[in-house]
Amino acid sequence: MPVTNYRYVPRAYTRHPSLIGCFVDTFSNRDSFTRLWLLSGSLMLAFSATTCAQPLTDNATPDGFYGFSDDIPEVLTTTRLRQPKTRVPGSTTVITGDMIRDLGITSLAEIFRLVPGMVVTEVGSGTPVTTYHGTVHYEQRRLQVLVDGRTAHRTNLSDVDWLAMPVPLELIERIEVARGPNSAAYGINAFLATINIITRDPADTAGVELRAVRGSRDHARVFSSVGGAGEDFDWRLAYEKRKFEGFDYQIERNPDTGENEKAPFHDGHDLNVFTYDSRLKFSPDLNLELRAGVVDGIDEEDQFKESVASENPDIDVRDYYLHTKFNVTTSENHFFHVMAGYQNFDRRRRWAIELPYAAINCLQNGLSPFDERNYSDPCFAVGGDPVTARINSDSEDSRLELEFQDTVIFNDDLKLVSGIGYRHDVYRSETFFNGRGTNDQSRIFANVEYTPIQWLTLNAGGNWEYTTTTHEGYFSPRVAANFLLHPNHVIRFVYSKAVRTPDGFEQDPDYGFTLRDVGPPQYANLEGFRVESDASQSRPYLQTLGRELEEETIESREISYFGQFPLDQAIFSLEVRAFDDKLRDMISGLITFDDWTIDNNVSMDQKGFEVEATVEYPGTTFRIAYGYLDQDDWYDGPEILDAEGNINDDKKAKNVRLLGRLSVRHSGSVAVIQDLPWGLKASAATYWADEFEYSEYQRLDFRLAKWIHQSSYTAELAFTMQHYVHDIPVLSEDNNINQANQFFFEAGVRF
Amino acid sequence: MTDIKNAPYRFPQRGNLSRWLRALVALAALCVFSGLACGAATKPVVYIAGSGNAALDKHISRLLSEALGDEAELEFATNDQLAVMETGTVVTIGPVAFSKVRQANRDLPILAMLVERTFIEDYTDHNPGQISAIYFDVPLILQALTGKAILPHANKIALLATPETVHLYERLIDQLPDFGMDARVFVVDNSEQLIPTLVRALTYGDFLLAGPDSAIYNPRTIKHLLLTAYRRNRIVIGPSQAYVKAGALASKYAPYPQMAEMAAQYLIQHLTSGRFPTAAYPTEFGVELNLQVARSLNIPLPERQAIADYVRQQMERAGRKPE
Repeated sequence: MPVTNYRYVPRAYTRHPSLIGCFVDTFSNRDSFTRLWLLSGSLMLAFSATTCAQPLTDNATPDGFYGFSDDIPEVLTTTRLRQPKTRVPGSTTVITGDMIRDLGITSLAEIFRLVPGMVVTEVGSGTPVTTYHGTVHYEQRRLQVLVDGRTAHRTNLSDVDWLAMPVPLELIERIEVARGPNSAAYGINAFLATINIITRDPADTAGVELRAVRGSRDHARVFSSVGGAGEDFDWRLAYEKRKFEGFDYQIERNPDTGENEKAPFHDGHDLNVFTYDSRLKFSPDLNLELRAGVVDGIDEEDQFKESVASENPDIDVRDYYLHTKFNVTTSENHFFHVMAGYQNFDRRRRWAIELPYAAINCLQNGLSPFDERNYSDPCFAVGGDPVTARINSDSEDSRLELEFQDTVIFNDDLKLVSGIGYRHDVYRSETFFNGRGTNDQSRIFANVEYTPIQWLTLNAGGNWEYTTTTHEGYFSPRVAANFLLHPNHVIRFVYSKAVRTPDGFEQDPDYGFTLRDVGPPQYANLEGFRVESDASQSRPYLQTLGRELEEETIESREISYFGQFPLDQAIFSLEVRAFDDKLRDMISGLITFDDWTIDNNVSMDQKGFEVEATVEYPGTTFRIAYGYLDQDDWYDGPEILDAEGNINDDKKAKNVRLLGRLSVRHSGSVAVIQDLPWGLKASAATYWADEFEYSEYQRLDFRLAKWIHQSSYTAELAFTMQHYVHDIPVLSEDNNINQANQFFFEAGVRF
Repeated sequence: MTDIKNAPYRFPQRGNLSRWLRALVALAALCVFSGLACGAATKPVVYIAGSGNAALDKHISRLLSEALGDEAELEFATNDQLAVMETGTVVTIGPVAFSKVRQANRDLPILAMLVERTFIEDYTDHNPGQISAIYFDVPLILQALTGKAILPHANKIALLATPETVHLYERLIDQLPDFGMDARVFVVDNSEQLIPTLVRALTYGDFLLAGPDSAIYNPRTIKHLLLTAYRRNRIVIGPSQAYVKAGALASKYAPYPQMAEMAAQYLIQHLTSGRFPTAAYPTEFGVELNLQVARSLNIPLPERQAIADYVRQQMERAGRKPE
């Protein structure tokens, strides 16, 4: 008989009667019942009623604690109500932590290759980006990303830093991706989709876990966690080290030969993540979650990615967060929480530059050295000692977030969630804002789920929000009707509208680099000189700096089907989503120091469909995800003129193209996980995106793991191989690897 | 009917009177205080030792009385009364009632109801015909097949036990390969290791099968166990109907009417032959499902009858009876 550890009987357990004993015997002995009650503490209070009360008929109604527990894996994200998929107003992908680990996924952003309609790639110096239905590139502004309900994107650029996200893969319980606009529940950033990363409850991670991963391109990851679970207090302390060298090489022009050549690419990272999660339980109906985390390390940036840099402008990451949530259950039909969070994103990025004196001279005299008309003369004229200095793009963003959310379950057919929220963002940067800026957002939200008849569920929700970015208020509604064809089959009709307001940097930049440590001594007068963006434009006739931006809007229609088919030996689940989205007043253009051309100037219609299917056979899980996106986009902003005053169709087309860089027509994944004899588990997966602008992405992964269940521990040894099918770099010619096959080894143990 | 429990009578102490005198006095006392016309009694009497839970005792006695019809009459009796009886057939409700009656009078034949097999097995083995039982718990193989009926792809079962209760699963683990399944017991060393061991168990099993093990599954632990399992997307089957109401997804259970019907047959046989049939499980079991849990976990639940049919077919296919 396969039995694990075998030592002694826990004395504490033997005192407790069985449930059978409970109802049969306890009432004959009041003293023992009282003692049991006291011993069991408050939890017993909640359960005695349900577990001791064996029904005397065979037609009892199911109830128990389950009715008012809010931390079980129903779909949580879409409306903030716990809803089964048959009642959710929209398509939601749920990726479990076990699947992530079984497939050997190596980083957080990579997970989203499993989501229909989402693509993942790298930009800049190996910075991962992911998006749903494209429209973004460097900054992922149109997704709402939450970690345990806490807003995870940065404040000033509305960007998401997947590298420095304080979420170790081992701690992911599941990730829910509500596909489609979700501003009705989460406000203005939930424009295209909402990602909710739910980490493991500290109550579920008692014990010790260690894991180490080593692989190609100096990939190294070490994870450790220790925790405890008790009647009054659950806690977990975790540490993760993430290290990676990034791509093998980039293509740069050799100044001596004038040829493009391979050059080392400085695009790795070396980050340390500490997280603390706990729950203090005052009573079964009252608990306080407290979370904290620190991220510290280096995110490498290559000097060739900066127009002026004489060394690598690495980013020194120093983030931290505090997050607390007070959960109150007043009855099985009413519960609420109060959440407060504070996050600080501190990025220090400083590097040396060297410029011809003529360029500085131009700047001092109101001529932009980046203006194409000044490239050779007078701003880059040869002669004089070059000016050396240090500049920075340091930034520190802070966010204070408060939220009250209340759920009332009138009955199984009528449920209401509502709440209010407030966010105070502060961003400080000498370079981006020449000081500090703030943004305040206040919102009120609600969603009602109503099932008037057994085959129809209606959802209506909305979010009203006021932001100081535009000093306007916005209402984002969603209505949906779910027609239940059968208990396991539903067709949904969903209509929603959402907005995205420009972030602080888009709307109110004050962009300029301040020269420090200027040398040689003859240029001492330049110390502290601020090189302004608006004085450094390469094409002044295109610039939009200072132009007031309006909100982007999306109007979305969805028809989707979700069904489950129990087979003789399997369960087959299928979700198909067809969508028709109209995106208007999209902000597109360049947002760089010497080229600031963003405006509300592009519209697009997106149509398509997505399929997600899973078949679970005994010992085998087969999953497929596919997304088809048909995008029509056009320029509809203010007229753009060229240097001669003629209509600049090229620039218009470029603005349209910029917004479509990650809009991929076909994308998807196929994965299979197979149990094998002798404790072995194998998996294979392929991911593809066809195609980014000029390139196609396809990768095959294979993983073989050996599980060892021993008396006092469970261990896993695994080997993963990633095979890159195409050797054409994706999106950027700099994203190159030497070997099509990448290998990873990992070992983990849990006590 | 006179309330026997409150009747002001005194019995001589055991051993002070001769055997025939004790029997005579006992019979006279029962006649007087039960209000029965002894001379007119035409039906044999079966005595019930209750659990102390009045509602439950009343429910069981009503079902049993209906099942017995005219074959016998039921009478509640106290331990004191039963202690001095020479003859008579006793039905006990629950393990405590059985233990008390057995200690009060080891000569009486007892049919135990609402007791688990592991509790009563030693008594029935050593006193065949005199002590028998209708098991209250459910054969674990039926619970396992219930889980398989709900999750057709499941083939690995996680089990939690203490070192003292690990034997509960031996028979199950031997039986499972015949049904294409495997199980592994993860032994919990102490209370601090309950959740760490559960987490490890959930990495192995497609679902958690909860056996009648109060050391692991009790009101104090059940919420944490269930939530941890559900957060890992693993369902929990068993151990009883009560736990389904507390949040387990499903459990087989022995319906009271079935148990009463079977108990009546046992009693009738004892009244006619003087011997009880061998202790056994009921021949039919119900399935308790928690529909809300299933919906929350997006698990398509078969109809109750479909689950029952599947379990029966699997047992028939394997040529097995519940044991």
